[in-house]
Parts: sequence; C-alpha cells; structure tokens
Amino acid sequence: MAIEDYRSTMERCSRCSYCKWIPFAHVKSWRFAKGCPSIEYNKFHAYSAGGRLAVALSLLDGRFDYSDSDSLLDIFYKCQMCGLCDISDKICRYTMEPLEALREIRFKLIEDGQLLPQHMPVIDNLRKEDNMMMKSKTERGKWADGLDVKDVTQESAEVVFHAGCRFSYDEELWKIPRTAVTLLKNAGVDVGIMGKDENCCGVRAYNMGYRGEFTKYAENNIEAWTTAGVKTVVTSCADGYYAFKRLYPQLGSKFKVFHTVEFINRLIKEGKIKFTKNVPITVTYHDPCHLGRQGEPYIPWTGEEKKIRNQIVVREPRKPRYNGLNGVYEPPREMLKSIPGLELVEMERIREYAWCCGAGGGVQEAYPEFSLWTATERIEEAKATGAQAVVTACGWCERNFIDAINESGQKMKVYDILELVQQAL
Amino acid sequence: MALLKEAYQALEDVVGPDNISEDPAILDSYAYQWLAELINPDGGHFMTRPEAVALPGCTEEVQGIVKVCNKYKIKCKAFGTGWGAWAAPYDKDVVLLDLRRMDRILEIDVDNMYAVVEPYVIGATLQAEAMKVGLNTHMIGAGASAAIIAGVAAFSGAGADSISMGHGSENGLAMEWVLPNGDILQVGSLGSGCGWFCGEGPGPSAKGLVRGALGACGGMGVITKCAVKLYPWPGPATMPIEGKVPAYNSPLPENLRAHTLAFPTWQAFADACYKIYDSGIGYIAHRQFNKWGEALQGAVLKIVSDPTKQLDDLEEMLQRPEIQKLTEEMRHSFQIVLAGMTHRDIDYQEKVMRQILAETGGWEIEALADPEMEKWVLLYLIKLPFKNLNFAMATYEGSFAHSGTPDFEISYIEASRALKRKYIGKGVLADDGGEAMMAAIARQGGGGVLALEQFFFYDPQDINSVLGAQAYLAEAGKVAGEMKLGPGLSGQLLGSKPKDKLQQMLSSVAQPSVFHYQRKIKEAFNPNDIGDGSYVYLEEPSKK
Repeated sequence: MAIEDYRSTMERCSRCSYCKWIPFAHVKSWRFAKGCPSIEYNKFHAYSAGGRLAVALSLLDGRFDYSDSDSLLDIFYKCQMCGLCDISDKICRYTMEPLEALREIRFKLIEDGQLLPQHMPVIDNLRKEDNMMMKSKTERGKWADGLDVKDVTQESAEVVFHAGCRFSYDEELWKIPRTAVTLLKNAGVDVGIMGKDENCCGVRAYNMGYRGEFTKYAENNIEAWTTAGVKTVVTSCADGYYAFKRLYPQLGSKFKVFHTVEFINRLIKEGKIKFTKNVPITVTYHDPCHLGRQGEPYIPWTGEEKKIRNQIVVREPRKPRYNGLNGVYEPPREMLKSIPGLELVEMERIREYAWCCGAGGGVQEAYPEFSLWTATERIEEAKATGAQAVVTACGWCERNFIDAINESGQKMKVYDILELVQQAL
Repeated sequence: MALLKEAYQALEDVVGPDNISEDPAILDSYAYQWLAELINPDGGHFMTRPEAVALPGCTEEVQGIVKVCNKYKIKCKAFGTGWGAWAAPYDKDVVLLDLRRMDRILEIDVDNMYAVVEPYVIGATLQAEAMKVGLNTHMIGAGASAAIIAGVAAFSGAGADSISMGHGSENGLAMEWVLPNGDILQVGSLGSGCGWFCGEGPGPSAKGLVRGALGACGGMGVITKCAVKLYPWPGPATMPIEGKVPAYNSPLPENLRAHTLAFPTWQAFADACYKIYDSGIGYIAHRQFNKWGEALQGAVLKIVSDPTKQLDDLEEMLQRPEIQKLTEEMRHSFQIVLAGMTHRDIDYQEKVMRQILAETGGWEIEALADPEMEKWVLLYLIKLPFKNLNFAMATYEGSFAHSGTPDFEISYIEASRALKRKYIGKGVLADDGGEAMMAAIARQGGGGVLALEQFFFYDPQDINSVLGAQAYLAEAGKVAGEMKLGPGLSGQLLGSKPKDKLQQMLSSVAQPSVFHYQRKIKEAFNPNDIGDGSYVYLEEPSKK
C-alpha cells in the first residue's frame, strides 16, 4: 500500500473524536474515559488519529510542505501506535482503518527522509547489532546461560522459544524467558532457542516507519526457523507475537505461533502444569496492545472497493475486519484465576479498549517523559482497583511500568504472569 | 493575514508557549472538518485555516485571550469537542480556542439535581458520574461524544431523551460567560451569589442571549462553566456491558425496557405521539434506526447489532426475506424506553403503551423485542454510545430539520422524500429509499413537539457525490423556506452559504425579527466584532 491509498480514509474521516476515547459504551468514570495517550499528553487535535489524518491530507493536497512545519515529526511520531483509535473508530465507522493509515504515513516519512533524530541511534544499532536495545549482538544469548535447553541451530526441536530483544538484554527481566523455557521443558514440550543467533523480530522498527528493516528481519527469521526445522514459535513478548502472528504470514510464514499465555494456559488445562502453593495476592491484568487488540491472526484478503446503491462503499469480497474481537484476552485471565489464592480485579479500561503502557511506536526511545507519563496513568488506574500488583504479559510493558513506578515513587508491584505461575508451583 | 508578532506574543503570554500554536500542520488539523465539503464550492475538505490555536486552561486565560483579541481586533471562536464545520472558522483571521484543557466536572449536587461542568466535559463522562449517584443527564442527539455545554449554548440541543429531560436550552442553569468584550457575566443565580441552581435568577437572566435562536456556535463569547439539570436514573450505578466488539449491549433490570413501536400510517404515528405526550409515559423516545433509510434500515440494523456482520454484507442481507419483512415493518416506527421508578410504575407504563398501540392500530416489532436485541437497543438509546453509526453506510448530513406538532411534521415528509429521491435518481446520494427521517419524538420535556430530520448520505471522497449533495442541500433549504419551515438546524444553514443566501433565508422565517434582535445583541455584547461569523443575524436593512 502507498500513502495515496489511504486518501479515502483521510477524506472520509468524520472528525468525530471517537478516536480519543474508549468506546463510549464502556465509559465508567470521568477519570478513565480517555483512550488515546497521545492527545491526552500533547493536547492539540493534530495529536489524535483524526488530527493526523487531516495533517496527512493537507500534506497530500500540498497545503503546506515539510519545511513549513516545526511540529510535523512530533505529530506523527509522538504516538505509541497502540491502536485504541482503530477500535473506537470501527465501532461506528466499520471500514475505517486509521492505524494502518498512520503506519503508512510513517513509512512515507522515512522514504522522504523525514527521520526522527532520536530514533537514529536505535535504528543504526539495529542495522549493526540486530537488536533494539543498543547492545551488542554477542550478548544476545546470555539470558539463557546455564539453562539446559536445545539450541535449534545445532539440534532439532518442535518448538522454538523466541525471547525477543527486551527479554534478551534486560537483565532484570531474564527470569521471565528462563521461567518460560523451564515450564515448557518440564511439561514435556520439545523446545529450543536460537540463543546468540536469535534476531530482532523487526516490529518495533516497523512501527517507527522502517518497513525495509522489518522485511529484512522477518525474512531472516522465517528462513532461520525453516532451516532449523521448527514447526511452532512461542514467545513471551507481545510485540514479537504481533509480528509473527499478524505480519509474518503476509511474507509467507506458515509457522504456528503462540504467546506463552496461550501455550502455558493450555498446559495448565491439560494438567501438565500443576500448582501446589497459594499465592495470596490481589492483582489486576494489563492487556498489552499487541497481544490484545492487535493480536488478532492475519486473514489473507485481496479485493477492491466498489459502490452499491449509488454511494455506499463496500469491499468485494468481504474484507476481514480487525477490531480487537479476536485478540488474546481470556488465556491470561484463565491462568491468573487458576492460581490458588490469587484474586483478579479488573481495571476500567481492559481488553480491546485497554489503555496503553506507553512503550510502543518508538515513543519509549524518542519521548521518554511521554512514555513514562502514559505508564503512570495506567498505574494510577491499577491502583484504583485496590490491587497490590499489576500483571502483564509483555516485557516492554513490564519495563515501562517498573520505570514509571520507580520514577514516581509509587508502591505498586509489577509482575509478568509467568512469575506468578512460578510462585504457585 | 498572519497574526502580528506582538499579538501572538500577547496570546502566548496568556496561555504559555506550550498551549498556543501557529504551525500550519497543527492549524490544518483544526481546519479539516466534517461537512466542510458541503460548504466549500469546490468540495474541499478544509474550512478556513485559523491564524492560531490556543488551549486556555481556565476562565482567566479565556478572558485574557478575549481581551487580547479585542485589543488587536482579532476574531476568536471557541469550541468544546470541535466536531463539525460549525467548530471551524467561518471567517478569515480567526484565533481558535480549543477548550479541551477545561474538562472538569466541578460539582454534582445530588440534592438539588444539577452538575457544574467545564466546556470539554462530554455526555459520556457526565452521565457515568451522574449514574453513580442515581442521576442522569440529557444527552443531545449528537450523542455521548458531544460536549454538555455545546448542547446548552452552541447548538440546538434536542435528543432522544428530550421527552423526559428536555432540550439543551431547558437544561442550562447558572453560567459563567466570558463576553465578547472580555467582561465576565455570571448568569442566573450565580450572579447574585446564590450558587448554580437557576439560570434565570436571582441574578441576570441571560440564557437567551447566550445561545440565541439557533445556538451561538462559538461566535458569542465563551461559556467557561455551566450548571445543567440532572434527572432521576432508576438503573444501576454502572451500566453493565456485555456482548462483543463492536456490538456491545447492556442487560438492565426489569424496570427499564425498550420497545420499537410501529404504525400502519404516518397519521397513526402522529396520533401515538400525542397520546404519549398526554399520558406522560416514556424516558426516551426516538425514531432512531430509520435514519438508515426506508429501504435499508432493517439490514443495517441487523448488521450493526451483530458482531460478526459488517457493511460488506449489506447486499446479501438485503436479499433475506426476514430482513425485507423487518424493513417493511419499520416504515412508520420509533423506539421508546420506559423507565419505572417502581415495579408498579413500569407495569403501568407498559399497560398505557399497549393501550396506545391498540387505539392507533400499532404493534410492537417482534424482531426488536428479542431479549438480546432489547439489550442492544437499551444501551444504544440510554448512553448513545454508537451515535456515529449514523456514518455506518456513508457520510451523512441532515436536511428538513424542523420541529412542530406531530400533525404538522408529518405533513412535509412526502415532499422531503420526493426531493431526496430526485437526487438519488441522479446517483449522487446513497439510495436509502428516500425517507430517512430521524425523529426526536418529543423535542421538549413533557412532549408536545416532534422534531424530524431527513438524513441523506453521500461519499465525501467523490466530487460528483459532494457537488450533488451540495445541490440537494441548497434545494432542500429553498423548499423548506417556501414551506415556512424556517432555517431549522444545520442543514439549511449550511445550504444557505454564502452570506447573501443566509440573509435571504433568515428573512423568510415566520418571525424574522428574532434575527434582528440577534444583531442588536451582537452590537451590544460584541462591539469590536471579534465573534466568528457562525453567530447568525439579519443585517440592518440600510446595510443590505
């Protein structure tokens, strides 16, 4: 797709501002009714999906040029690409796809050399060291030191566990991929890892607008897994899950893809993982954007728009609608509810209309204050439930919550869901 | 003309550098608007680009901006959520005030049943907080996303619940008003230090000046705080939400029921309206789903209430016999929500409703009485969270928007339908059959007045459709004028651009003196003419 292909999305936007709020049916309070971190933090209308579409249309129409605006890059990059706008819009405008349009705008900016300087060190490091963490490639496999697990580049395994950049390099979080692998192994799963040869999934670069880098990493990973003979990819990273489940199939990937919450929840249900201890804690669960509303499987579609009854635009054949309906919401909740002694309480904004953690879309890398503000908002919402801890299933979310709590001096605990599973064994 | 550097600096001194911008990218995000393509002769999507946008955070900052605008003779225009062409500059050289930083619910007075809100408080948030204490707020027809104050002061203000909660203009109580000259006027009881409970006094009664005949559209100063009436809510503190995205629904207790009532003729429909007014039943009464048009309403209704369906299914759905039956049944229908304060109350209202059906030859539509469907209808009408399903098929706008006695209102449906069918025949409007009359069954508290609005649908990306819609709207305005329907709501005003046509239309209403008085009000309150042209008035005859 090219930016011109989204002109219709821009020109048909009704500027209603639904993109700024959670679906109105779910509004339970004044405090937690807002849905878009970008407009809430940055205030001007341009920092909403509708505003961005208008700015892009103005550019396309030649009403101003890149050189005329000092705000342009901020407008398009100060957004986590969390996709809440896409959900709220589609409730009433069934065929609107603002998230795809916003992504395409970023691709276009990169093509035109409109690069955000803050992203460049990260992208340069990615190109050199194959990770988004500003670290050396040689350190990638350290998280698994001492784990007795197959290296699928050396021996075959049915399942490859993909740790991802965050879990591979964030030492404080190493316990999570290590727990995942141990749980899988102990349940009899034939699992291996790529170790130091694992590569970035590419999706964070993709969301920053670097489509070429994404394609390169996607093709490399597909080839590496094919060579290794694996059939299934399991990851604890929501970003990686989205890449493998939704994007890689567009490049021909046929692997089965599971997030650990899906895979391990199944093992719990099958009795292959049994709990023996109470975990007396009240927790609330944060739905990662890329596991929840954006975690829907890819459905191939080729077709075109046509008009019926004069001016009603439909797609032929029927186009799959990604509106969060088929995201991964139940497995993590089932897991938490199965842990003895644990009580799950829900926040006001959950599932397809969850508030973002703030880490995505290149925001954590370029706008750390905005990123932490977004996370702090979520922590405030978690505190309002009376929970002692916020639980999530994504390393990027967990890191941002930990940093926000440390920065603000709050007392909320943060767990990956696997940490609580581990405690109950 | 760009703002003078010193004028911009003066504005920046008021709100701070982070809260003002003259960057063209920021400004064009405000210039783009729904319906702009129907106003611009070339079908363009942008209204006039403002010279700057400021984000005041309090009354003092609003006042400061207005004073700067008076000093430098700059026009200014404020908005709450900023939805629609009315929120953009109508004139050149306008500073926009985006009031989104003023978003607090300042008070909910449970005993006296009112709330005090700032301009960016919307229907959804006030309603959620009011329900927690057993109260509810009037939600204007634009739905949950619309600002409460906009419904009181800037626009028409009718809604689905007007039968029990009244019109926006009825619901405004005391207000804090930054006048176009920069003074602050405390309207109603606030003006005598008696709090927020009354809009008419003790203290200056100025509600009519605030909104004028049609709503001030942000062109007559800024309401920075406003008290609005709240009404009893006999439901749960938080409405439970079930169902799958996008077709959520709400299971509610037995004292809240939704019905779709159908009638054999328009006359029977009108007769039922009178009987509902007389009997006093009804919490919400609206002709909601007919907005998708007489030929499509059944299919679109089924699509939007089923999470597995989407617009791409429309052609197939239209072929289904059960959909065709539903569509035919819905021809002269409306929805009513009954809310019982007690079990006896709901039983009584149900009984009265059945009696009205018996007396008018009406019936309840079975497909919509299904419990799952009823839960969806209840959510739809009580929270108006899906109001933009107005856009489910295509972009829409209203025409022939008018209110009056039911007998009068039904008298122009056929003429309106015929005119619309002419443009459907040209292929420029979506073929919805012709009649797509949205209706507030009562436009004011207690009933007595029916409000109709003929929706039409077009594709804003298709210049032929846009120009055709412009032509339709202009002709609809002319026909409405000839029928003495008056300027009505937005459609006619949009169709009356440019200004000479607007003058012609305002002159043709039954009581044009109203718009002469609006000019005099403007001259008195806005001596430096800093208000945007969206505040309409008749020019002095000598200046025509």
